[in-house]
Amino acid sequence: MTSDIDLSCTDLNKNFGSYQAVDNVSFQIPRGSFFSILGPSGCGKTTLLRMIAGFLEPESGGITIKGDSMLGIPPNKRPVNMVFQHLALFPMMSVADNIGYGLRRRKMKASEIKKKVADALERVGLPDVGDRAISQLSGGQKQRIAIARCLVLEPDVLLLDEPLGALDLKLREHMKVELKKLQQAFGTTFIYITHDQSEAMVMSDQVAVMNNGRFEQVGTPQELYYQPDTPFVAGFVGESNHFSGQVVGRNGDVVEVKTASGQVFHSIERIDTNLAAGDEVELFVRPEMIHLSFEPENKPENALEGEVANILFDGGNSRLLIREATTGAELQVVQPQTTQFRDVKAGDRLYLSWAASQSHIFRARGQSQTPALMQTVEE
Amino acid sequence: MNAFSSSKASGKKLALFLLLTPFALHLFFLILLPHLEILNISLRERVSYGIYKFSLMNYEAFFTEPLYWRTFLRTAVMSILTTAITLIVAFPVAWYIAKVVRGRTKGLLFLACLIPFWVSELVRTYGWMILLRETGVISNLLQWAGLAVGPVEMLYNDATVMLGLVYTSMLFMVVPLVSTLDGMDDSLVEAAYDLGGNGWNALREVVIPYAMPGIVSGCIVVFMLSLGNYLTPILLGGKDSLWFTDQIFTQFITRFNWEQGAAFGVLLLILSSLIVWLGLKLSRQSFSETMGR
Ligand SMILES: Nc1ncnc2c1ncn2[C@@H]1O[C@H](COP(=O)(O)OP(=O)(O)OP(=O)(O)O)[C@@H](O)[C@H]1O
Ligand SMILES: [Mg+2]
Repeated sequence: MTSDIDLSCTDLNKNFGSYQAVDNVSFQIPRGSFFSILGPSGCGKTTLLRMIAGFLEPESGGITIKGDSMLGIPPNKRPVNMVFQHLALFPMMSVADNIGYGLRRRKMKASEIKKKVADALERVGLPDVGDRAISQLSGGQKQRIAIARCLVLEPDVLLLDEPLGALDLKLREHMKVELKKLQQAFGTTFIYITHDQSEAMVMSDQVAVMNNGRFEQVGTPQELYYQPDTPFVAGFVGESNHFSGQVVGRNGDVVEVKTASGQVFHSIERIDTNLAAGDEVELFVRPEMIHLSFEPENKPENALEGEVANILFDGGNSRLLIREATTGAELQVVQPQTTQFRDVKAGDRLYLSWAASQSHIFRARGQSQTPALMQTVEE
Repeated sequence: MNAFSSSKASGKKLALFLLLTPFALHLFFLILLPHLEILNISLRERVSYGIYKFSLMNYEAFFTEPLYWRTFLRTAVMSILTTAITLIVAFPVAWYIAKVVRGRTKGLLFLACLIPFWVSELVRTYGWMILLRETGVISNLLQWAGLAVGPVEMLYNDATVMLGLVYTSMLFMVVPLVSTLDGMDDSLVEAAYDLGGNGWNALREVVIPYAMPGIVSGCIVVFMLSLGNYLTPILLGGKDSLWFTDQIFTQFITRFNWEQGAAFGVLLLILSSLIVWLGLKLSRQSFSETMGR
């Protein structure tokens, strides 16, 4: 089994002074997969990646690549390569020399280097740019050259630090698909870090959601989206309407929650079990899970009534901002692109409903969910 | 403003003209005119009192009299050596200032490079003499420590001249180096390591090519300053320092042979330009690119 694992990290820790940038992170990445680390700015993604690349030594914990420990091995001796945030292409070398840099370090014959470079250029779809200067390339081309420069060395693992961050939106969308294709074509294990959840979702086989130096959840994009393990994941992956409230009752695994402003919701407990009356909880409902209608629904598990406060038009992603009738709270709902809803305008009265299974409920973080969980287990 | 707004283009031209006038005047009266006059003087031969005729005699003298061209050659070689040593010493300093230290310390270190220029070159050079002469501080220290038996004379040799010149030139090398290295993204060096390079070839293939414009412009300035320096070589090197500027001085002042002195001046200009041009060719840099940075 271990032979199928390219990279494995166990209990990695890194402090900067008293600040814990990476906090007990463990994960394993199967060979040839596209693994993303998703997290907000400053959560420790770069720090983690630099430990894998060898630019930082962890305080404690282990890193193994294909079963060999990487601790104490300098970056130039590790079978990993890194695509830097700003690419770090060498500006005074031609494209071909950039790609050949690592091969020259391996004392490869000039003729062989030439062949490999041409081959790499071919594979990233830029066969004719070898003689150009870096400054003569477009943003997306630079991107591909930076990746080719690493992949030509056939690393076990390729690390990418937000390489699309500097590109404009259109190109970013395009490069997302391109990157995924490149990864599949080369069959190399990619570790990709980003703070853009759509990048992570589109490209990855597995995504780790990171927050404050910890991994909150590791899973497929589908798992993260449909079964978030923590409130942070529920709020960070995809969009969610968020409510805080108190448990007032339960019926089987359906929990009844009352918010401070008096709304009552039902949700199925999944991660935090044994929620009892009086427990503070957080509730998340995705805008796309909410059903809209002009007439009240027949006995929905969750129902709200409100009027359209604003239309956030964005083509197929358009949202309606609905102001709830009794409390005035605003929530976002995806605008269905059916004829019925296309002409909705501000002030229209709408009925919102969703099933208990379509919302996520968590014990509020203030009560420190994990210890609370462990207590219930012990009792 | 109103006067200009009628025609923007001519207004701009006028502004440019006004801005450039002092510079142009300076260029013309203080640089071009004297040089033309020097060129003129160098191309004549005194026949009798107040009567001159055109001649290349003064230039011939430079090439036929071994002392002259050998002095020039020696000056050029020593200046090139000085430039090389200054580069080698200044590069780590510049690297440290640009890449290692942050914030306040950076400013302080820059200031430290500037300190030698707070005292005049004359005073500074005498300072060196106080340290290095036979009865100077270092000589006494060595004797006191028992490392030397008698007084040690450290003045009046080529090494000391070089030391003085390197010291004087440091700032002019450090400044352009720091400014180019400052612009280099740290991740370039990391990328070089990441792709399998070690410190040496990261330096050779990435850092030095990147810093080349700074290196070349620093070298040009230091070379020119050393070649044209007068005080440091004369004071630290003594009578036998054989610095080319000293030859010029001797011709003008001691021998009162202005024609010969002028010819030397012109030759110094031409030959040093030639060396710089050669240097640029060898390092494959263009002058405008280097200075434009
Ligand atoms: N060399 C350092 N010294 C001290 N603190 C550091 C150092 N490097 C990073 N940090 C801190 O560690 C935390 C994590 O930094 P890191 O660069 O890993 O974040 P990141 O997740 O990559 O963020 P971003 O998405 O903005 O790039 C930050 O709070 C940062 O201030
Ligand atoms: Mg980062």
